[in-house]
Amino acid sequence: MKTPRHLLAATVLAAGSLFLSGCDKPAESSSPATESTPAPASTPAADSASAPAANAPADEEAVADTGEPKVLNLFCWSEYVPQAVIDAFTKQTGIRVNVENYSSNEEMYAKLLSGGKYDLIQPSEYAVEALIEAGQLRPLDKSAIPNLKNIDPEFLDMPFDPDNKYSVPWMAGPIGIVVNTELVQDDIKGYKDVFQEKFRDKIVILDDAREIVSWAFETLDIPINDVTDENLAKAKDLLAQWLPLVKVYDSDSPKTALLNGDVALGVVWNGEGAILTAEDEKFKWIIPEEGTHIFVDSLAIPKSAEHPKNAELFINFILRPKISKMISDEFPYLNPNLAARELLDPDALANPASYPSKEELDRMDTFKNIGDKASDIDDLVTTLKVQ
Amino acid sequence: MAEAATAVPVATGRRRWPSGPTFQRWFLGGWTLLVFAFLYIPILLLVVFSFNRSKLGIRWTGFTTEWYGKLFSNKSLLDSFYNSLIVASVTTVLATLFGTIGAWLLFRYKFPARRMLGLLIFIPMVMPEVLMGSSLRLLVVAVGGSLGYIAMIIAHTTFCFPFVLVGVQARLEGIDPSLEEAAMDLGATPVEAFWKVIVPYLMPAIVAGALMSFTLSFDEYIVSVFLSDATSQTLPLKVYGMVKKGLSPELNALSTIFIVATFFLVLITQVIKKRP
Amino acid sequence: MAVVAEAAPVTGGSSHERRPGWGAWLFLAPLLLWLILFVVVPSVLLVVYGFCERDGLGQVVFNFTWENYVRAFEWKWLKILLDSIWYAFLTTIICMAVGYPAAFYIGRAPERFRNLLLMLVMIPFWTSFLIRTYAWITILSNNGFFNTALISMGMIERPIEMMYTPFAVVLGLVYNFLPFMILPIYTSVEKLDNALVEAAYDLGASPVRAFSRVIIPLTRPGIAAGALLVFVPAIAMFAITTLMGGGTNPTIGEVIQNQFFRAQNRPFGAALGTLLLVMFFASLWFMHARKREA
Repeated sequence: MKTPRHLLAATVLAAGSLFLSGCDKPAESSSPATESTPAPASTPAADSASAPAANAPADEEAVADTGEPKVLNLFCWSEYVPQAVIDAFTKQTGIRVNVENYSSNEEMYAKLLSGGKYDLIQPSEYAVEALIEAGQLRPLDKSAIPNLKNIDPEFLDMPFDPDNKYSVPWMAGPIGIVVNTELVQDDIKGYKDVFQEKFRDKIVILDDAREIVSWAFETLDIPINDVTDENLAKAKDLLAQWLPLVKVYDSDSPKTALLNGDVALGVVWNGEGAILTAEDEKFKWIIPEEGTHIFVDSLAIPKSAEHPKNAELFINFILRPKISKMISDEFPYLNPNLAARELLDPDALANPASYPSKEELDRMDTFKNIGDKASDIDDLVTTLKVQ
Repeated sequence: MAEAATAVPVATGRRRWPSGPTFQRWFLGGWTLLVFAFLYIPILLLVVFSFNRSKLGIRWTGFTTEWYGKLFSNKSLLDSFYNSLIVASVTTVLATLFGTIGAWLLFRYKFPARRMLGLLIFIPMVMPEVLMGSSLRLLVVAVGGSLGYIAMIIAHTTFCFPFVLVGVQARLEGIDPSLEEAAMDLGATPVEAFWKVIVPYLMPAIVAGALMSFTLSFDEYIVSVFLSDATSQTLPLKVYGMVKKGLSPELNALSTIFIVATFFLVLITQVIKKRP
Repeated sequence: MAVVAEAAPVTGGSSHERRPGWGAWLFLAPLLLWLILFVVVPSVLLVVYGFCERDGLGQVVFNFTWENYVRAFEWKWLKILLDSIWYAFLTTIICMAVGYPAAFYIGRAPERFRNLLLMLVMIPFWTSFLIRTYAWITILSNNGFFNTALISMGMIERPIEMMYTPFAVVLGLVYNFLPFMILPIYTSVEKLDNALVEAAYDLGASPVRAFSRVIIPLTRPGIAAGALLVFVPAIAMFAITTLMGGGTNPTIGEVIQNQFFRAQNRPFGAALGTLLLVMFFASLWFMHARKREA
């Protein structure tokens, strides 16, 4: 009789693992996958692979009790909030943090607006604006966030959220050019130098239609948020020359193609640039002379949040210099927290991809929300990709 | 040609593996070996790189077992692995059940709109996952249900069972009709006949379907994006999230352990089988 | 495609069909319910959304409009759809050619090895899709194993560009779908009557003819099932094609995916999805009609 032993094996494997995971669960209060009854606030050290800072800074200010149930539903970018920070927060406040991730702002909208219950979200700048316009954000109670003073004034009161009514900056970073100097000896200064015939099939760029169009706008001296049909037509002509030269479109990990030698240069996020330059000296990072877009990710509280005060507590917590430093240690982006920057390694501060110079910063613009023009832009780029 | 003279038709039960001239046997064997090599090349690489010192997994920079250590302290990764295992196992059971019974019912009985039903089952296979995931999410929310394990299992089962059904249907084609009739003549009810006669006949297709279901569910990303909640993050969700920072070799370590464990499990069951 | 028509939808021969009794209905009911709730309802939603507009955040707004469906028929989207179908077709053919001999070998293996071999076919796919695919990238890149090995052996001077080409896309697709071809074919091979097979070889036909004239036709249901299980999902694939192909020449799956996220135009994505479904059903129905005539 041909008994399905292997089905049984698989079930046994599953049953076995169920049993094992059951054994693991008690008293881990701050990791994402615990059961619903709140567990004691103290957590054993280092239960994650990241920074070993389970011993949170001892000099914290006293933390007020918000009166809400001790839960926080955090909805953030994947791998953008270090586990150690979450653990430290739980240890300090006794609030358990449930983490759910997303990989794009649009995914975040989709899930937020279709029944997601989140207390804190991490939108990019244009997303903050879109959400404000749609009335989806809850105004911040600034008195609960005194640490806001640590933020660089350059990053406060930005066009997408005047006076920071709804959001607090988390991390920022420009888009830029990375060049493999072993394969490319030219002096690359901007987009025009990248998109040359001689680099055909050697280029990687972000798979983000809005970004791509903004580079064309920068080159044509059009303000990047001035998305009109007329301007798009002009950009289309330029892009029709650029895009056939591209070998790879990748927003998730453009560094792969560069490291593998399949491409020689590219236009990528600064986080990727920082990883590449730290990995091998042959990679050079350049801010395009035509100008570039700087993204600013922020923390904000949705209107439907059930624990807004806990959320404000968390925001204030991550604005502490030592905590903010922990975030920077994990992610080589631009930290807008000046007090934290004073604590950073000189090496980290010296990485040009993470911390552009003042004059480079001046060449950077942020995105504003363009509503349904996003679809037209995507259309344009897709059409050009297909040819 | 060839061996016509000496071979005896198989009523004696003697079998050559596989049948046919020696050359063909070696050819098929060699081909199969090549196919397995093709399937396992990236896996071999994966295993080797789980011992690689460099985090980026592109170049070999030295031997280390640190990633295995880090894996065991990476609770959220392990949890996501268990979640995937649980969801995939339950999905497999349900999908196999639905697929087998569904195939049999469609085959045996003249239900009204049978053809229509037969077509409906293809929808989950051809509908893009992002559409299925988002509409199911809306459905769950609209009826006031909650996201998480149950929602994910429902969604996974929905797109896995057609795979089982199609496979079982193929096996049913050309089945000897007298099989079931004989059983019933001997006093079995239709259900008993099904269970005791048809199911054993279908077993290879059921096993194949189960294997496919498990694989599809275990690796499912998009649908899980829409239907999971904070406590039910599955492995693919975790993995996709890690891409920006670079896929840590902990993942390689996890996969290596899983593969090795499965190998041993399978080997053990094989040994047990040989005993009697 | 005649092969595909055979498989879909198999609703049984005529000699042993019965009218369903209450028992059969009892068992069908839960399945029917499941189908209605989780397949029909989402499909209806899909069609309906295609007729809707979107708001500032790309979500659906219930105002009736034709614009999405009109737009879906523009040549550029149809071209993408046709390209995706072509890739799926190529993948299916290659999987058939590569997978059949292996499935045959496994199906005729001694009983105690069969399930083992089957599992061995599947086990590579219990690793995460992303790391598998990145492993392939590491193998095929310019600095990857394949090229480095060939260069160090002096066989070539400059690396062969394999990544981010149509070759890489098809390789990735074939790799991921091969088991879904092998398994169904195996189930047909496994039930081959020994006597028949031996007889085919022993009755004097050349081995090749025995194989093609007797054995392959006998396993036709398995081949057809395999073709279906590869071709159909392959059309809507997106992740592999993006990773291996570099994002140039997007597939219909990628485009639909995009509508939901980056392009913030869910209604249009729904319209494209509906188009895909309708096309699929139309071709199935058509092939079935032809088969019944034959």
